[in-house]
Amino acid sequence: MVKKEQEEMFSSADQKLVLSSLEHDQLVRAKKQPIPRRHLKGPRLVLVWALRIYLLFMMAVVVDQVWTAAH
Amino acid sequence: MNQGSRNGEVIVITHEDVDRAHDRVRVSAARAQRGFWSRTRLLWLLVGPGVLVMLGENDGPSMLSYAATGAKFGIGFFIPFVALTFCMAIVVQEMTVRLGAATHRGHAELIFERFGPFWGWFSMIDLGIGNFLTLITEFIAIRAGLGFFGVPPWIAILIALVILYGALMSHRYWTWERITLAAAAFNLVFIPVALMTHPSWHAVGHSVITWHPLPGFNKDTLLIVLADIGATVTPWMLFFQQSATVDKGMTTKDIRFGRIDTVLGAALATAAAVATILATAPLFAHQMTADNFQAAEFAQALQPLIGRFGASLFALGMVEAGIVASITISASSAYAFGEVTHKPHSLNLPMGEGKSFYAVLTLCAVTAAAIVLIPGLPLVYVVLLVNVVAVLAMPPALVFLFMLVNDKEIMGGLVSPLWANILATTVVLILTAAGVLFGTSIIAPGIFAVLGGK
Repeated sequence: MVKKEQEEMFSSADQKLVLSSLEHDQLVRAKKQPIPRRHLKGPRLVLVWALRIYLLFMMAVVVDQVWTAAH
Repeated sequence: MNQGSRNGEVIVITHEDVDRAHDRVRVSAARAQRGFWSRTRLLWLLVGPGVLVMLGENDGPSMLSYAATGAKFGIGFFIPFVALTFCMAIVVQEMTVRLGAATHRGHAELIFERFGPFWGWFSMIDLGIGNFLTLITEFIAIRAGLGFFGVPPWIAILIALVILYGALMSHRYWTWERITLAAAAFNLVFIPVALMTHPSWHAVGHSVITWHPLPGFNKDTLLIVLADIGATVTPWMLFFQQSATVDKGMTTKDIRFGRIDTVLGAALATAAAVATILATAPLFAHQMTADNFQAAEFAQALQPLIGRFGASLFALGMVEAGIVASITISASSAYAFGEVTHKPHSLNLPMGEGKSFYAVLTLCAVTAAAIVLIPGLPLVYVVLLVNVVAVLAMPPALVFLFMLVNDKEIMGGLVSPLWANILATTVVLILTAAGVLFGTSIIAPGIFAVLGGK
């Protein structure tokens, strides 16, 4: 990918256009920068754990139903 | 040279950046001018994701569901009810516009980055499976709709794939969006069909104002209500609109027009949905049982009432619904895959740079299309699985959407105000509860037996 980018040539007009028209964080290269992980606390942490439990429960229900239907 | 500099910093630009910059130049030029026509041009340039997501949600199964509702209940409660569900969709989809414009990142990418790989991968895989199964139902609608004209299934599927691939061929988001919008406009074909049935406007007005006549309260009616609410916002809609907003290059300055785009899409989709209910309401008046009707069968049943031309329009509307949804849903899967795997993901990518993006998009569509050609496909199980997957995906997707849009670190001053949070919380709770209840009724059908019904 890096090689490809290096091979691709853009005119100075294109560069000027991109730099004047797009916000910095709209550029493809800028979007490769990771956004820091959010550290959850309090009710939000409880909510995410509730979602995990919900998923486990629902998956168990689905597997049970599929198993029952198959037999 | 592919490098420029801004404030002394070396900036690497790509083909995708150049294409997006060209789109933004037109937006900036339109914004710089004053007057009605400049505003109209700005709106024309900025509409897209909202209209596509709402008309995409009016997909094959949804239109079939509206047709069945009209045939089963006639003009009454479900007309204002459908409008209400689209109002709820606006509340949720508006959040994706703000998120996309403020962060320039897709929904799957934000979940991955902010809440970790587990939720990122879960969202992507669950969305991918749900989208794939939904795509199968879209191709079934296309096959059934074109079947009305005597088109053999394999040719019907081929036509759909050619249109889908034709929209992609330009490798430009703008062109793809305009082609898909043109196709989506055909969703409004249900309006002339409804007019051909000469509906009683007095009855329509009465139902809108009073929500009467109410359907009989039993298990079947409750399930239809729950299914309609639960299907108001489906996972692909959240992921698609945010990714499309980013791919279109919308910024915080465009949020107002993004909202107009979403409301416009909801209004058009409501008009098409209500028109479909009105179009099949005469079947209710004629006491026709349409419980097991497919798309082509509704068109055939309407033919004695509205003639061959009207029935053909109805069948074409079903085909359009399937085609537009297959285009947007397959794009949603490709965006999410690229966002989670950190591969290039844009409709502005040339084929060489976006191999994985186009491969996922094509693979999803072609495989789903091929499955539809299998004789004796158990459609009931496909629909059941779609609902099960949606039940798994929707609560996390809605909760994360709500948490992200209130995340000051990424949203800054664009976090939701208190009144918007109260409204969004209410809608998210209603959607989640209805979706979970409906999914539970599918997984465990006996749960609503106490209410009676068939």
